[in-house]
Amino acid sequence: MPIAAEKNIKNWFLETLKPDEFAEKDPKKTGISFEAIIPQNKIRDAAKEYLAQDYFLESLTAVDFAECFEVVYHFSKWNALDRSCVKILVTKEENKTPSISSIYKSANWFEREVYDLFGIQFIDHPNLKRILLPESAEIFPLLKSFKGEPAGSDVTQSMKLIGEDAEGFEITYPKSVTEHNKDYYLNLGPQHPSTHGVLRVLLHLSGERVLDGEPIIGYSHRHHEKMMEIQNYLACWPNMGRLDYVGAMSYNFGYAVAIEKAMGITPPPRVEYIRVLTTELNRIASHLLWMGTFLLDLGAFTPFFYCFDDREKILDMLEMVTGERLTYNYFRFGGLDKDIPAEMIPLVKQFMPEFKKRLRDYDALITKNVIFRHRTNGLGLLTRESALSYGVTGPCLRGSGISFDLRRHEPYSIYPELDFNIPTRTEGDVFARYWVRTKEMEESLKIITQVIEKIPAGEVTLGKLPKNVPKGEYYSAVEAARGSFGIYLVSDGTLNPYRIKLRTPSFSNLNSIIDMLPGCLVSDVIAVLGSIDIVLPEIDR
Amino acid sequence: MTILPEVLRIVLWGTVAILFVSVNALFLVWMERKVSARIQLRQGPLHVGFQGLLQTLADAVKLISKELVFPNQADKYLYALAPMAVFAPVICAFIILPVGRDLIIRDLNIGFLLVFSLTNIGFIGIFIAGWSSNNKYALLGSMRAVAQNISYEIPLLLSTMVIVMAAGTLKLSEIVLAQSKGWFITSQITHPVAFVIFLCSALAEANRAPFDIPEAESELVAGFHTEYSGMRFALFFLGEYTAIFISSTIGASLFLGGWQGPWMPGVFWLLLKTYAIVFVIMWIRWTFPRLRSDQLMAFAWKILIPFAIVNIFITALVLQFQKVLL
Repeated sequence: MPIAAEKNIKNWFLETLKPDEFAEKDPKKTGISFEAIIPQNKIRDAAKEYLAQDYFLESLTAVDFAECFEVVYHFSKWNALDRSCVKILVTKEENKTPSISSIYKSANWFEREVYDLFGIQFIDHPNLKRILLPESAEIFPLLKSFKGEPAGSDVTQSMKLIGEDAEGFEITYPKSVTEHNKDYYLNLGPQHPSTHGVLRVLLHLSGERVLDGEPIIGYSHRHHEKMMEIQNYLACWPNMGRLDYVGAMSYNFGYAVAIEKAMGITPPPRVEYIRVLTTELNRIASHLLWMGTFLLDLGAFTPFFYCFDDREKILDMLEMVTGERLTYNYFRFGGLDKDIPAEMIPLVKQFMPEFKKRLRDYDALITKNVIFRHRTNGLGLLTRESALSYGVTGPCLRGSGISFDLRRHEPYSIYPELDFNIPTRTEGDVFARYWVRTKEMEESLKIITQVIEKIPAGEVTLGKLPKNVPKGEYYSAVEAARGSFGIYLVSDGTLNPYRIKLRTPSFSNLNSIIDMLPGCLVSDVIAVLGSIDIVLPEIDR
Repeated sequence: MTILPEVLRIVLWGTVAILFVSVNALFLVWMERKVSARIQLRQGPLHVGFQGLLQTLADAVKLISKELVFPNQADKYLYALAPMAVFAPVICAFIILPVGRDLIIRDLNIGFLLVFSLTNIGFIGIFIAGWSSNNKYALLGSMRAVAQNISYEIPLLLSTMVIVMAAGTLKLSEIVLAQSKGWFITSQITHPVAFVIFLCSALAEANRAPFDIPEAESELVAGFHTEYSGMRFALFFLGEYTAIFISSTIGASLFLGGWQGPWMPGVFWLLLKTYAIVFVIMWIRWTFPRLRSDQLMAFAWKILIPFAIVNIFITALVLQFQKVLL
């Protein structure tokens, strides 16, 4: 097909939309190909055009500048590498902007988050209420004027919020539960064995059949983004390990890639190999933990122990390297905290054949199990379109037939040099997501084998680096165990980040459950919830 | 007719039965923990007593000393009644179990029917528990339990009917004696099938994995006994393990020759066979994931019941032919 006939979003912007400001950017440095500032009333048109051209809404956030708010949309193409950034300006007096939640389903939660943290109203949003903070909160923490004064954070205020949130349990029932109807509401969580943390799913049931369900999040919200704004760049490292404590190495990687891109530095080769080695080991550990708990959700106890046995070996190795078992704080800008110990490589070599054998055991015990197949086949269907509209990434998206993996899609580090496949399945059901993750463990093993063969000797640090990031805006994303982890960084050249948006994969993945729940039984809800592999601290941030 | 010895007999046997039930439940819990630990690459309880044998006793002491929490919204009387309603019938079932030659508390001529009825009444207790707790999880659990019980009662009885046809009696002691020449499980082509159907139904009747949906802890927190604590919870636990034991004993008596066996006294043989079946039940529990409630129903109505009915027909034909030929 000739290039001219190909629809191009850039040309469309320049010719049809006529943005107020338009700037081409270097994707290698800023992660985006262009940036456009458009009037508020054109954002819906732009979103529709993006949707028509196979883009998904990767991130939606806002930045509080002195004069006005900037609402920032990042759209990314799933079948080719192209990301662009659209901004609209919202004045502080007006504080309103059109919602695009009817175009992109993922915008629903993103807009609620922006409303929650900045107080920006979205016109025509179906359900604009707080998402991370309690419904009764009166603060907008990401405003630069919010300094975390006692009014917002002292004990009495917190107790008041907790009390009001408890009342919120009664208030949020759309209908009174005392009426004798056939349908009723069931709060699955926040304290429930299978919500994997403090998640509450409000289920509307008829008997055991789910009519609709809505996840309610925010119970472990700590506000990493505000925390990072008031720290310097180096002090943000520990935050990365505490987002997704199950696959923390990928988040280290994400932050390292983001800052290194912005600073324009390349780490030494040994660093890159060690990074990939530890990240892939951690990915296997993360998938193992998921597999164990997912099967526990389905009522199979024993695989949980097998998975944890294998995971323990990986954690031992990573502990040897980092000194930590869970919330790693290992990477540094342009390097690592320290080199890996000499006895680690033999341990990995010893582990791999054992684990390969174990994978075959899992296959025999789980994948071929009749009950397991019956429980998972055709359940929790997530169609391609729905997955893209919700901005689902990671194994969930690959289970729905889209081969989107940032390690291949937007290569970073040494991934282009490595040989591995991206397992993909088209069914989009619970079993497909299970299958994709088990195959991903095999692929990670393949990567580890190659890394161990090729790992070069050398330095693991670049020495002294400047403490600040050059002024500008940057977006970068890496493939974490649960999907694409993006960082949108606005730097004003000082020692602290001006604004950091953490685009965590589980947030959008969990959002998609709204489409999967209707028609399920209560048992299926647990299976579906388990299959999307959520880690709550990463969703609540 | 002397009344006093009869009363003494009842008291004596009652005490023995309750003692046995308690000790047996403690042992079964220990066994379950050991078996599951071995399957799951663990050691299981080790520290209290030899190989942790007294661990369950320590747990029982802890449970007894716990507060009996009473939910505000619960139906007071029904809530307190439910654990007893679950536990009492399974104890009664011991009356008719033949544990040796002439070693049976009451050898009723409808013993076979009575033992199934008694193990079944417990489900009313489970429903009461779920209903009176005034908790949605508990109610869902008890709803599932009732549906499951009604469905699996049918294949359970139909499958064992084959044995009654072969033995020609409903008296449990005579059914066991009829196996003196060979166990029923091998005596006819239909009996192994009946045994498998019986085992599946017994698993479901006892709420054991993979049919443990009434108390599926990953879905319903703890199912019908979500709100129960302390000794009331322990009674449910005792009831469950005793029900498993009784199902296994019936299985051993109907299919594996009961107390009959060489060299050792009958009681040992019966216990040996029973624990073998219990072990299989535990093995199954720690291997399979749980079924979904609708799949569970489909399994009973679409697979087990048709097979059981066909099985009865074949048995009838075989018996008739044998009569004609011999």
